[in-house]
Amino acid sequence: MAAATALLLPFRAHLHPAQAMLIFVPVIVAIGRLAGVRASAVGAVLAFLAADFVFVPPYYHLTVASPADWITLLVFLLVALSSGLQTGAIRQRERAAVQREREIALLSRLSSRLVSEESIEEMATFIVGEVAAVLGADRAVVFVRAPGDRAALMAQAGGVSCGVAEGAFADWVMRNDKAVGLPLTDDPSIGPHPVSVLVDEALPGIVADGVYLPLQTGECLEGVLYARPLSGVESSPERVRHLIAVANLAAAFLERRRLEDEAAQAAALQESDRLKATLVSSVSHELKTPLAAVTARITGLLDEGETCTPDRVREELEAATEDLHRLDSSIGDLVDVSRLESDAWRPVPDMWDIGELLGTVASRIPVASKRRVRFEVAEGLPSVWVDFRQVVRALSTMVDNALTYAPGADIVVGARALGTDLLVWVEDRGPGVPDEEKQRVFEKFYRGTTSAASSSGTGLGLAIVREIARAHGGRVWVEDAEPRGARFVLSLPLQGVSP
Amino acid sequence: MKSEQSSPPERSPRILVIDDEEQIRRALRSILQARHYTVDLAATGAAGLEAAVDTTPDLIVLDLSLPDMSGLVVCEQLRAWYEGPIVVLSVRDADADKIAALDLGADDYLTKPFSAGELLARIRAHLRRISGAELSVREIKAGDLMIDLAKRVVTVKGQPVHLTRTEFDILAELARNADRVVTSHALLNSVWGPDYVSDTQTLRVHVSHLRQKIEPQGGVSRYILTEPGVGFRFAGDPDIPA
Repeated sequence: MAAATALLLPFRAHLHPAQAMLIFVPVIVAIGRLAGVRASAVGAVLAFLAADFVFVPPYYHLTVASPADWITLLVFLLVALSSGLQTGAIRQRERAAVQREREIALLSRLSSRLVSEESIEEMATFIVGEVAAVLGADRAVVFVRAPGDRAALMAQAGGVSCGVAEGAFADWVMRNDKAVGLPLTDDPSIGPHPVSVLVDEALPGIVADGVYLPLQTGECLEGVLYARPLSGVESSPERVRHLIAVANLAAAFLERRRLEDEAAQAAALQESDRLKATLVSSVSHELKTPLAAVTARITGLLDEGETCTPDRVREELEAATEDLHRLDSSIGDLVDVSRLESDAWRPVPDMWDIGELLGTVASRIPVASKRRVRFEVAEGLPSVWVDFRQVVRALSTMVDNALTYAPGADIVVGARALGTDLLVWVEDRGPGVPDEEKQRVFEKFYRGTTSAASSSGTGLGLAIVREIARAHGGRVWVEDAEPRGARFVLSLPLQGVSP
Repeated sequence: MKSEQSSPPERSPRILVIDDEEQIRRALRSILQARHYTVDLAATGAAGLEAAVDTTPDLIVLDLSLPDMSGLVVCEQLRAWYEGPIVVLSVRDADADKIAALDLGADDYLTKPFSAGELLARIRAHLRRISGAELSVREIKAGDLMIDLAKRVVTVKGQPVHLTRTEFDILAELARNADRVVTSHALLNSVWGPDYVSDTQTLRVHVSHLRQKIEPQGGVSRYILTEPGVGFRFAGDPDIPA
């Protein structure tokens, strides 16, 4: 305004006062455009005074000589004020519209993340960042429910933490389920929201500014959102409404995550209860049976004393050794299944020839059964990228199974390449596996119903095979052999997968 | 029960058993004494190290899980001066320990539970080796395979098989140590010399060629068994399909 006055001063002699005032008007409009309502009003009054002081005779006096100049001056004041205010208001509305757009965009970004799989911490970090950037808070904090109805800080943005006070208010909100520091208003658009109390009512004597909003869904308080202060368009009801909307979305996200976690935990608990029960009964049966047999045989020998022939002693001890082998393999099953399930036995692959894998499998076949097993391996098979011990374990289990379920009959172990896979199979001439059991035989503790041998073993062997196949990116299945019997096939990718 | 060994050795070999479990110590003592071995027992690593100095055993059986110190440490400290065979015992699935023990100079390992027959076979093989009896062995026969160490000739079912010099050396070294693990390290050292002990890939290629020449049809290794991460084991009594 001063610049405009100085600029016009040299031309004072040639200008009618009204003309000078006319030139002030666009200047005031520009001020309103750039600096808002208040600045333009001040500008208008300043222009009025400057016009009176400098351009209306007598110069450099606030008095006005001619009544006509009085009228000119008053009209000028009116015009200056109204045009300044008008442009200022337009500017304010534009800015509010842009802000509203940003806030709505925030809500849409937030809601699109509601169903995402990101962690609570990632979401909380996102929320505080957006509240600070879009709603103009100097400081924003998300607290989540912690054990004992406490509020635990999950993410924060901006500002200096006033730690103790923030924590105290968040705890208070958590316990009382009321917002703190929301402007008291009758605006129905702000509801429904939890009853707000003044800062003083919550924790008398503790100074805190800003707003603490409970993150609440229908039934449960999930956490607290803190923002300080809501700046910008002076904490308009609209901005408060947006903050509440953010809080509601955050609460919905937290609730979804909590319910998911609870459901997953409940399911896991139920499954583990079932498995534990089966495990306990299976373990006690599988461990105690051979133990009981060994105990009976040895105490029997002791009891017979000197009447016992050396042949009979030998026979009993050989039988006891077999029982002990069974005990050892049951323990092995239990150890392996728990190692595989707890991810404590990850495959350590290397390049192996199928011949060396099968050589070790062959060397582990019980002596009494060696003659029953025949190998038919295609020539020139490429090497496979597998964990030696795991694959040998899987194949040995498949061979043992065949020996058990098809007693007396010969067994064929074969291997060939098919596309990008290596297939290794164990084929028997036993009773086979009925279609309805072809999937279930690989479940833990599932025992076939058709065979007399179905009561032996832990019922874990094929589950272990399946776990090992999976860990290698392969699979295992059972199909009917011709003319009868079962063929268990283990398929492993020739190139392997990175574990 | 029938005794496995008929004639007792001239001087009964002395064996030190280091194992913290009373049951295992008692079982091993009765098994070994029945075969006319002199047996000393130690329940801790420290006691074992001391007993080794006092008794200078011909062979040491060492359990890897000891209460006072790791069996691996015991093995390492023994190897600082003790040159006799060390056979380590370990529980199932402690593969890493087994491999570490072999790297530290143990000669062989057995996984619990093992049969008396397995243990005695290993002990006999190691005692035979240190007695130098093997040096005079001219021929080794296993299944259909015959290895003439003096003439450097190998036949399968009576038919001569052409092996390269390296392949023959590998086979001879494995066969001399039949039924026990020969680490890749030891094999490389004995065939190529100490400068090549890390070249396990080359070794595997040679073993693969060797297998193609001597193993029976059907693509399943019967004579040379792979011990993953460790080395190889020659089957002294292989089951060869008819």
